[in-house]
Amino acid sequence: MILNQFLILAALLFCMGVYGLLVRRNAVMVLLSVELMLAAVNINLVALDALWQTAEALGQIMAVFIITIAAAEVGIGLAIILLIFRNRRSANVDELNLMRW
Amino acid sequence: MDLLESWALSLIVFLPLVGALVALAIPKEREEAVKQWTLLVSVVTLILAVVVAARFDFGAAAGFQFEVDVPWISAIGANYHIGIDGISLPLLVLSALVVVLCVIYSWQHWDEPRNPRAFLILMMILATGMNGTFVALDLVLFFIFFELVLLPMYFMIGIWGDRTMRKIPGFRKEVETRLYAAIKFFIFTLFGSAFMLLGFLALYFKSGSGGQQSTFDIPELIARGHLFEGTFAWLVFGAMFLGFAVKVPMWPFHTWLPDAHTAAPTVGSVLLAAILLKLGSYAFIRIAIPILPDTARDWAPAIAVLAVIGIIYGSLACLAQTDVKRLIAFSSVGHMGFVMLGIATLTEVGINAAIIGMVAHGLITGLLFFLAGSIHHRYHTREMSRLGGNLKLMPVMGGILGFTAMASLGLPGLAGFWGEFMALLGSYQPLPGLSTSFFRTAMVIGAIGTVLTAGYMLWMLQKVNLGEPSSEWAGKEFQDVDRYEMAAWAPLIVLIVAVGVYPRLVLGATTDAVVGLVETAFRAVGG
Amino acid sequence: MTRIDWLAIAPEVVVAAALLVVLAVDLFLPRERKYWVAALAVVGTTLAMVPVILMAVSGDNYSMFGGSYVVDDFALVLKGVFLVAGYLVLLISVSYIESDRYYQGEYYLLLLSSLLGSMVLTSARDLVVLFVALELTTGPLFLLAGWRKGDLRSNEASLKFFIIGVLSTGLMLYGMSLLFGLTGELSFEGIREAISTGGMASEPVLGLAVLLILVGFGFKVSAVPFHFWAPDTYQGSPPPVTAYLSVSSKLAGFVAMLAVIYLALPAATDFWGPALWLMAAVSMTVANLSALRQSHLIRLLAYSSVAQAGFMLVPFAGGAIAENGLSEGLGATVIYLVIYAVMNLGAFAVVIAGGRRIGSYEIADWRGLGSYSPRLGVMLAVFFLSLAGLPPLAGWFAKFVMFRAVLISTGPAGVWLAVIAAVNAVVAFYYYARVVKSAWFDQAPDEIPEDTETGPTGPLSLAMGIALVVVLVVGVFPGLATFFGDAAAALVP
Repeated sequence: MILNQFLILAALLFCMGVYGLLVRRNAVMVLLSVELMLAAVNINLVALDALWQTAEALGQIMAVFIITIAAAEVGIGLAIILLIFRNRRSANVDELNLMRW
Repeated sequence: MDLLESWALSLIVFLPLVGALVALAIPKEREEAVKQWTLLVSVVTLILAVVVAARFDFGAAAGFQFEVDVPWISAIGANYHIGIDGISLPLLVLSALVVVLCVIYSWQHWDEPRNPRAFLILMMILATGMNGTFVALDLVLFFIFFELVLLPMYFMIGIWGDRTMRKIPGFRKEVETRLYAAIKFFIFTLFGSAFMLLGFLALYFKSGSGGQQSTFDIPELIARGHLFEGTFAWLVFGAMFLGFAVKVPMWPFHTWLPDAHTAAPTVGSVLLAAILLKLGSYAFIRIAIPILPDTARDWAPAIAVLAVIGIIYGSLACLAQTDVKRLIAFSSVGHMGFVMLGIATLTEVGINAAIIGMVAHGLITGLLFFLAGSIHHRYHTREMSRLGGNLKLMPVMGGILGFTAMASLGLPGLAGFWGEFMALLGSYQPLPGLSTSFFRTAMVIGAIGTVLTAGYMLWMLQKVNLGEPSSEWAGKEFQDVDRYEMAAWAPLIVLIVAVGVYPRLVLGATTDAVVGLVETAFRAVGG
Repeated sequence: MTRIDWLAIAPEVVVAAALLVVLAVDLFLPRERKYWVAALAVVGTTLAMVPVILMAVSGDNYSMFGGSYVVDDFALVLKGVFLVAGYLVLLISVSYIESDRYYQGEYYLLLLSSLLGSMVLTSARDLVVLFVALELTTGPLFLLAGWRKGDLRSNEASLKFFIIGVLSTGLMLYGMSLLFGLTGELSFEGIREAISTGGMASEPVLGLAVLLILVGFGFKVSAVPFHFWAPDTYQGSPPPVTAYLSVSSKLAGFVAMLAVIYLALPAATDFWGPALWLMAAVSMTVANLSALRQSHLIRLLAYSSVAQAGFMLVPFAGGAIAENGLSEGLGATVIYLVIYAVMNLGAFAVVIAGGRRIGSYEIADWRGLGSYSPRLGVMLAVFFLSLAGLPPLAGWFAKFVMFRAVLISTGPAGVWLAVIAAVNAVVAFYYYARVVKSAWFDQAPDEIPEDTETGPTGPLSLAMGIALVVVLVVGVFPGLATFFGDAAAALVP
């Protein structure tokens, strides 16, 4: 069935996203990784919706909500990153170590 | 007089708390007013306790009187159930009395940093906790009062306690004694009571297994004792044992006691010794044994062993002390060992011994701590090597110290005798089913303990009271016992003699209740 | 079909209206009159209580949008709690925010948005509403954490919180998409029925979905091992925001978790039971041990809040083990949440008040507080010891119901968790007591910090007063708190 390919693609994208989020040092790349994760979720939802053929297109509705909120989230994220870049001339996540234990 | 019936106990419990709240409203500067007010409150509480004792029907001491049972936290089935029987009556009166004496004593004796208002407020909260524990007949209520005692004592030790620096093993820097003692006291007790609470909850859920409503009610749980058996009962008893044994304290959970007693301000030590230590052993008699009699029988030998170790250990440790107050603190470990030995026999004689031993220890050790405080107040040291010739410098105080030490070592005719004697008597013939030879061995070791007790008490007397004053004190004027001290101590002295000569003063109330307890707990099971 | 019951959504409408008014009014107010914004926000939250109380009195249930949005006892009780918590946080914030004279309007706007999100959350009965509400709750908090724009620590707090927040959202969403794939449903009820009719309770994919969702919630409630952002974010954020984070945002995570677990996944106990058991045990232990070494008050409170999250998870684990444990567990968690919210906000109020006077959050600098400011000293002792769970302060009852909920099953798993919790309760006491010790037992510094507060102190004192009264009264008459638990427990199907 065609479904499996979508699910595998989503799983791969999701893993890439998580990996990127954990190891990437540049905050912008971290943000992109987040987008990757959310995209994986959307693919999953749309594909599974096609499987279930729900009357209200539940999966697609959810995907639309996720896209909307992800946009807002990225806005917030970019604002924070911009602020940090302005204050310390770098957007490197590793350098954020003022507070430890 | 039905009003008295239903309200007397609640008043005894909560009057001090109300008094504390009112005292909060009195300006801090008006120390005299605060003192007079707390004295008034505590005296009224004592009068109420005496009235309750007078109206107590000694013919029916086995049952609960002055009972109140109203819903409190209905969602969890906890009730405000209070009442007294012959077992709790003497302890309740003792508690009310000691609080009054402490207020009187502290009239002129303040440890740094003074602040009488805060101190007296804490003392009143403490009184509520102590009185409440002795009348509570609901496990949740009991738990609350049992814990309520901790906070005021923690602050008393921590704020007014001993400020000398001490090297504590395991700490890099020297620590002030009071800080170490306060937290140690608290952590130990809290650790025990956390497990005690788990035990209570387990009892609660198990009590519903007979198809009835689950309950926290102590008399009800006693009636449903047959539901608790096997491993379950063994574990629950163990959990409660942890809670109570820390409070008693039994060896090896006693290590907080010498520190707390030594560091606490005089009045704090008196309250700790006279009342707080009784909460644990009282809980054994009130809760652990009647609800889980069969398991208590399994545990009895273990308790007896720990009790005997406590007796011997306490006595030997006393001989190693150089500080008068610490010596008295260790002597408490020994005396509470006798109390627990009495309880471990699970007989009428033994449990009676435990109660009279508790009362006697409250009177005697309370007085000893008062004396230690006053000695420290005069000499500014408690080191026995520096003291000496006290009898010459302060004849009255020396005399009282001699008298109290004699009472403490169990001189016949004074209060301390009965507890030790009867505990040993009880272990000669423990409850059928318990190994007689085992308990007779315990009895012999306990008897050796009494000799050791006599030994260290006399040694202490010789060091502190007898001989010539050292050159350090020669030629100095010391104020002998002042009138506040006299007022606080005289009732204790009178009671020590009275209980010693006429033990029925206590036993008259307790015997029927104890017989009833042992009957229902053990006869029915066919012991 | 799509009839909208205006009374049922009135609380949210009021808060949303207050939010818009705040935004508009802020534009027209001159700098020195900005405190009117705060007053408006306070009035808004107070007004929103009215419909909540009306509905609670009438006792009706409302269901809207095809059952996605439900106002029942559970929702009402928690809406009330969120409103009170929000109200207290607003009071706590006033003097702090006012003293900086800096983006006041935005502060209240964001706070109200987050409050709105958590109120919607209580009514969410399908995954879409739940997700949107949860994001509305946390989104503004990312910005609030970085509210002190010039402060590097605040920046750092904000970014760490953001990254962890979106990571958790991603994991949770992936889990939700799997759940949707398995059942073809988004509503909790549909998912529950699909799982039971399809016999999918032990499907491995369900396990994966449940675990991913739990990981997501774990971040939100800051349970170990998903807690490491909490201390940094708490320390870096402005203290009133931290107060809000540690209460409302944690509460929101728990509410979402309660709804999903008890409404959608009650059959999957085999998956979430052990996972939450482990999370509870590890959270308590690790957080308590870490808290022992903290010297910074707010970091201490951060670890304390992680540990408290562990305690709150205990009833869940109990619910999975015992037969009738679900409703017991739900009631216990809600009671714990309610009491925790009040005492923790009280503790933060004292810390903020003291911090403004002392100018430091190092515990050592607070020595002798009781001697020069007995009022703050007493409050500090009351709230911290209540957090430690000492009777007769309200915290004891929270601990009590927690133990009760897990001991309802007499199996070894429940007993062991209870024992771990008991030991942890004692350990926790040690670090709470250290703060009390510093304030009461230690000698005051030679230079006693002067009271230099210039801003309005009334609101902060009011917040402390309210919390104090609640902590004392609930401690003595815990029956008042069981009302919340009983109302909430009705949720369990």
